Amino acid sequence: MAYEIECKDVTYTYPLSKKPAIKNLNLKLEKGKLYGVIGENGAGKTTLCSILRGFAPSFYKGTISGEVLIQGKPLSSYDEQISRKIGYVFQNLFTQISGIKNTVFEEVAYGLENFGVPVEEIERKVVDIMDLTDIMDLAEKSPFELSGGQMQRVALASVIVLDPEILIIDEPTSQLDPQSAESVFKIIKKLKERGKTIILIEHKVDLLAEYSDEIIVLHDSQVIKMGETRHVLSDLSLREHGIQLPQVTLLAEKLRESGMRIDELPITKKQALDLIQEKRS
Amino acid sequence: MEKTFTEKIQINKRNKIAGLYPATKLQIVILFSISTLIINSIKLTDAKLALLLIPWFALVPFMFAITGEFKKSMKSMKPIFVVAIFIIAVQTFIVSGGQTLWHWHFLSIREKGLQTAISLGFLVLNIAGMFTWMLQSTSTKEISRCFEESGMNFKVAYIFTSSLEMIKVFSKRSQTILDAQRSRGVETEGNLKVRAKAFFPTIVPLILGGIIGSEDRVLTLEARGFSIKGEHTHLFDLKKSGYERRMLVVSIIITLLIIAGRISLWRMK
Amino acid sequence: MTKNERKQFSIKEDFSMLALLIIPVGVAVNFVGGQLASLLRLPLYLDTIGTIFVAMLCGPWVGAITGLLTNILTGIANPVNFAFIPVAIIAGLVTGAFARHDYFSVWWKWLIAMVVMGAASILSAAPIVVLMFGGVTGSGASLITATFMAAGANIWGAFIGTEGLFNVLDRIISVLICLAVIKVIPNRNLIKFSCGMFYVKDREEIAEVTE
Ligand SMILES: Nc1ncnc2c1ncn2[C@@H]1O[C@H](COP(=O)(O)OP(=O)(O)O)[C@@H](O)[C@H]1O
Ligand SMILES: [Mg+2]
Repeated sequence: MAYEIECKDVTYTYPLSKKPAIKNLNLKLEKGKLYGVIGENGAGKTTLCSILRGFAPSFYKGTISGEVLIQGKPLSSYDEQISRKIGYVFQNLFTQISGIKNTVFEEVAYGLENFGVPVEEIERKVVDIMDLTDIMDLAEKSPFELSGGQMQRVALASVIVLDPEILIIDEPTSQLDPQSAESVFKIIKKLKERGKTIILIEHKVDLLAEYSDEIIVLHDSQVIKMGETRHVLSDLSLREHGIQLPQVTLLAEKLRESGMRIDELPITKKQALDLIQEKRS
Repeated sequence: MEKTFTEKIQINKRNKIAGLYPATKLQIVILFSISTLIINSIKLTDAKLALLLIPWFALVPFMFAITGEFKKSMKSMKPIFVVAIFIIAVQTFIVSGGQTLWHWHFLSIREKGLQTAISLGFLVLNIAGMFTWMLQSTSTKEISRCFEESGMNFKVAYIFTSSLEMIKVFSKRSQTILDAQRSRGVETEGNLKVRAKAFFPTIVPLILGGIIGSEDRVLTLEARGFSIKGEHTHLFDLKKSGYERRMLVVSIIITLLIIAGRISLWRMK
Repeated sequence: MTKNERKQFSIKEDFSMLALLIIPVGVAVNFVGGQLASLLRLPLYLDTIGTIFVAMLCGPWVGAITGLLTNILTGIANPVNFAFIPVAIIAGLVTGAFARHDYFSVWWKWLIAMVVMGAASILSAAPIVVLMFGGVTGSGASLITATFMAAGANIWGAFIGTEGLFNVLDRIISVLICLAVIKVIPNRNLIKFSCGMFYVKDREEIAEVTE
């Protein structure tokens, strides 16, 4: 069976720039999984996502080599319909609105209008998604006057409503307070339950540890590690590349140094609890 | 039963004239403007003044009134009145030529001046007034929708609406920047040099932010299927009030009567 | 693109998505610039900066649309602005034509451009102001025009004489502001506009990289 997304030796260079922003990228992403993408600033995370969606090179121009396959077919063989297949929530919060709608309801409905979905169906879908993203009370507010947390949920809703099979979400919580961040992750979890394949760029490893299936680590334009979440996030050598590890992992590491025998470092609170319970018994 | 969101965003006007289809309003304004120009060519009295333009102007407030937007529309006529009064004053007292009609110390009114004063002043009042009627009784949402329904590319409607929203956003932002400058001690009062200096740091970040933001906007719109081919849906439904035919017929008849009047005046000579 | 090769322009390419979305920015800059100038009681209009900026980056057609739309929208509040639509369009066309021919990267060239832009503005406004408004529109400068007319000057002469200087000054300042902004726009953003390549920093060095 074909992978949901597959990259074969993709190298991409922005125009005017001397070295590639993504080098020798090989990926095989499976349907229904949540992939966390981590790496320092400028490592190429956003560029990676632009490549998966085709914005690099279609919008950014530049040069690309290798092959990107979406559900087994080359990305280039999809036309504009790709926006139904791959949803993309961008890094910058406040430039992420259509700019022509006066209410959040209309804003969320905008994509469906473009797709020519019948009016009654739009109403039904938008209400469903506003409920999922918990923005029902904002429905009649102006999208120009939202707070960061509200804006992020509206941006998510506007993309989810198109019901894409693949979702790319670029640092959704970087400008949010912890509480809003948690609520955004709750939404992402619900999306996963709906069977979406999700690619999530995120710095908050504690949250990633809890929610993601696999982690992709980028450093200096290249994937330096990739695999099952616990396997990747308990790799202490990642710290040398400026990557933070979950707090419980660091704590467990301290315990290990002080002599406690720990086979596999925990990355979530639950795993840590299990470990402690195991030690006690 | 609770209204659906789609129902809530509709515009429902009680007044049948206010609710006329925007394109019909434009047709009425054009007919009115043509009539105004014809009336302007009818010169009365020995001084050859286009005096009929003055009673003709009564139609403008009349339209405001039957649209049920008299106060609001009159208020937005203010800058037009200023321009018209200015034109009339300058032309009346400054332009020379023809017989002197009235004289007092250094002020004098000459035939030529009075002719242009009345003609230009009331042309501006009439035509701009009727546009005011159309624009005050039509929301920009209706105008934008009407563009698309009359066959223009949906991108035109997008740019139109987006510009209006951008103006609001930028006005707010410039106010914020200006206030921030003031609180940092940058003066916005005082002599010309001081005031000019406040202009640059306000406008530059606006332009810069706008241009960087529009890149994000391109991608956002692409992600929402902006350039997808095929029919779009419109939640907002631009309605007709049912008085379109009637109003248009009345306007055409009035225009034809004015043309007939104009022709018969030529004949009489 | 090598140095000797002339860039080919096409209308379709001119109206890229990005160019379309820069039009509202231009319109809003025009609007706010004008408002700010009157708020700060500056003796210039400064309400064409957006049109000039868009034309400098995207060429004459996109510039012209920006001008047109600005006057349509300000006309909603005051229909007198509809009369000046041709002036707004010509401002975009003239600036864009200069931009196409790379007139804004060398100082003596943009000096020529500014003067021609000022002249185009005054010459396109004159017939409208004189024939439709009798020489005065109620603005600050038209008080001076009126004074000249009262002193017996010819109406065309009075208008062009008074407003001519203001118009050239207006264009000089507007272009300088646009150049200042363009200077801080990163190359990566500039190259996405049809005339953007002309403003890219270190043009020679980059030409080598892309070859
Ligand atoms: N539009 C662009 N043009 C040229 N270079 C870019 C562009 N966007 C990003 N880059 C460069 O590519 C590299 C990777 O950037 P990015 O993918 O945004 O990193 P991240 O998202 O991991 O912070 C950086 O060195 C950045 O400067
Ligand atoms: Mg990034």
